[in-house]
Amino acid sequence: MITQKLNDQITRIGPDTSAGAVHRHYWQPAALTDEIAGQDAPMLPVNLLGERLVMLRDDTGALVLKTREASADEAPTHHPAREDIRLVEGGATYPVVEKNGICFAYMGPGEPPAFPNFDCFRAPDSHVFAFKGLWECNWLQALEIGIDPGHASFLHRFLQDEDPEDSYGKQFRDKAANTDMPMTQVLREYPRPDIEVDETAFGLKITALRHMENDLTHVRVTNQIFPSAICIPMSREMIITQWHVPVDDENCYWYTMFTSFDKPVNKELMREQRLKEHSLPDYAPLKNRSNHYHYNPEEQKSLTYTGMGMDINVHDQWAVESMGAIQDRTREHLGRGDAAIVRYRLMLRKAIKAVETGKLERLPMQDRQETPQIVGPLSNDAIADSDDWLAASVSADMERRRAAPWDATV
Amino acid sequence: MSQSPQPETETVSWVKIASADALKAPRPVAPVTAFGLKLVLFRDEEGELGLIGRYCPHRGADLCYGRHENNGIRCPFHGWHFDRTGQCTEQPAEPEDSTMYKAIKLPSFSVVEHEGDILAWAGDGTPPPLAG
Repeated sequence: MITQKLNDQITRIGPDTSAGAVHRHYWQPAALTDEIAGQDAPMLPVNLLGERLVMLRDDTGALVLKTREASADEAPTHHPAREDIRLVEGGATYPVVEKNGICFAYMGPGEPPAFPNFDCFRAPDSHVFAFKGLWECNWLQALEIGIDPGHASFLHRFLQDEDPEDSYGKQFRDKAANTDMPMTQVLREYPRPDIEVDETAFGLKITALRHMENDLTHVRVTNQIFPSAICIPMSREMIITQWHVPVDDENCYWYTMFTSFDKPVNKELMREQRLKEHSLPDYAPLKNRSNHYHYNPEEQKSLTYTGMGMDINVHDQWAVESMGAIQDRTREHLGRGDAAIVRYRLMLRKAIKAVETGKLERLPMQDRQETPQIVGPLSNDAIADSDDWLAASVSADMERRRAAPWDATV
Repeated sequence: MSQSPQPETETVSWVKIASADALKAPRPVAPVTAFGLKLVLFRDEEGELGLIGRYCPHRGADLCYGRHENNGIRCPFHGWHFDRTGQCTEQPAEPEDSTMYKAIKLPSFSVVEHEGDILAWAGDGTPPPLAG
């Protein structure tokens, strides 16, 4: 449990807030390249960090965000028509950089930081697919589900396993590491992972150890990338790098870059799988609170743990939205399974203090020389003899990187 | 649970919180707002009624979508299980040796079915007799 004052401090992100100031020292996903595809002169409404903006090209042809006029009562993801957009004279102008399908904006003071050399940025465009979706809740609870390795054994539990051959483009449907066991079976049968958390140059490395029979251990390494992203394995071929970007205090977008270490990504298939579940232009999920996420008690008995279908994104969305717009952390009871959440909040509080006291060098990834040297992160599943899990995890990652058609060396 | 939500007012008599029809579905679980609190009403496998806090005391997920099993309600997020008294009975994602669940209890209220209505009482001690 934390105090209301602390909960406010770590969740609220408007222009004059402590956590908002931390976010503003990092590049933030502002739009998908898909949203401006084929437009010479885009005018794309963007609602980000409590600000009402529009993305367009300046006189030099560079993408920028500019403040637009907005009424106080417009919806959080309001998307005015082109002819209704008015720029605020003398309003802010923020730089935008496009990377493999996502337009990143820098809304902070001074020079923007450098981009780290993560796999999602290094891989060629052919090997990265980007998408986004709206969750109607505060960004922090959206992030916290992503640094909670235990929930997958419950929230995403399938009472029957699908054929991993039908798994393309979906989370947890592949076989686990070098076994014939579907990942869903590993998660179901070993629900009490030991969790280790290590601080890194980019955030946190989170290792979930599931001790199996015959002295084997399943090792799943996921990462928190400061301040609002995670990097996790999706299948043996692909990893997910996902930001939880505040729209305002009570809404956020997930932006995901799916990065393949092997074949080019089948973007048409992955786009079609996801467009089918969302409505445009605001990328709002079709299953949502207003229709009870298509909750079906019969299905909950026999097929899925939630009764909300096979799409794990919907399970996550339900979990984080059901807590309320901003989770009331004065009533929470964290356990040992929440180790990474506890560590992350400490990191965020340290960052808030660093910004408030002007000690920006204490923030992760602000050094313009060192940040481009940051590679990886290691993000994978492996199964190994229990006394050898660390080496097995690294060697499984190295093997995949060596075989990659693009330079994935670390 | 030092900071459990408390009812806004102590009532001296039973109050109707739902019609008995609310639990007629194959999955007898329903959201209820009573005594100024958001609660979940359910019938367990022993046929007894439970009226307990609606939000999981772990991270706040909504127990109205909980799994109706093992004589109680189980949160779909991490499997925390609650009986009709609001007591947490299992935390299946925590290490085997953890006893944290013993200290976790949701607020709960006396609840009975009476002449087609479901009535609850928010006081301490022995409930008053049912009217009529």
